[in-house]
Amino acid sequence: MSVVNYGTREITCKIVYYGPGRSGKTTNLQHVYSQLPEARRGKMVSLATETDRTLFFDFLPLDLGTISGFATRFQLYTVPGQVYYAATRKLVLRGVDGVVFVADSQSRQLAENIESLQDLHANLADEGLDPRTLPLVMQYNKRDLPPGEISSIEDLDEMLNFRDVPYFSATAINGGGVFETLRSIASLVLSRLSAPAVKDS
Amino acid sequence: MAKESKKKAESEEAGGEFDDFMADISQEIAKRVESLDTKPKAPPVERKKTPAVPDAGLIVEWPNIADRMIEEMR
Repeated sequence: MSVVNYGTREITCKIVYYGPGRSGKTTNLQHVYSQLPEARRGKMVSLATETDRTLFFDFLPLDLGTISGFATRFQLYTVPGQVYYAATRKLVLRGVDGVVFVADSQSRQLAENIESLQDLHANLADEGLDPRTLPLVMQYNKRDLPPGEISSIEDLDEMLNFRDVPYFSATAINGGGVFETLRSIASLVLSRLSAPAVKDS
Repeated sequence: MAKESKKKAESEEAGGEFDDFMADISQEIAKRVESLDTKPKAPPVERKKTPAVPDAGLIVEWPNIADRMIEEMR
């Protein structure tokens, strides 16, 4: 996927929300969608099972209009967190420009967070992407749960944030930290816009 | 009336976070585009000019080259 196309004056960024099942990836996208002005509100594609868990993926196209002469689009995706949807996760990661890792702050979910992070690294490597350099931000979600049930931000960061990338605490269910996270990953992705080479997708 | 203004307020509130996001992103893109546009361009590659008087080894009669090669091979 091209990040910037000087030929057609387009900027397209693919951002994937990754993380274990039920960590709040879809909730992030739902909040972004709820905040979109009517005119910019396209369709959010969401395929969920009867228990509300993402079956395939969620897709939210964000058409930001023309900025500095470039038609700018962000495409937000989530992956299904459940372990057995490995093939789907790999497919969704194809051509990704940036990743938001949504971690579940609950102490009992720590192993799932680590497993999902390892899965992310393996899938990126399989796609020929360098997990050490791809734009990444961490989001520690569900901070509204009782303190006894969740790990501290410091502990989560020490255990999950190997690359020392930007991190955000969030309560995606009521929108807390959602746009801060999105702004950060968008900024990291845009900062990688470099030489005006036209690289078509 | 009250319902309408409430709806309007909700709509404005709903767009608030997105507007802030848009403002930041627009600024970021403008900055990036500007920096890309002002990057020093590589000096133009100097093209070799064909000498007015051709060298002895320089083949200038391209249409006849096949005939000349066949002639040489005989």
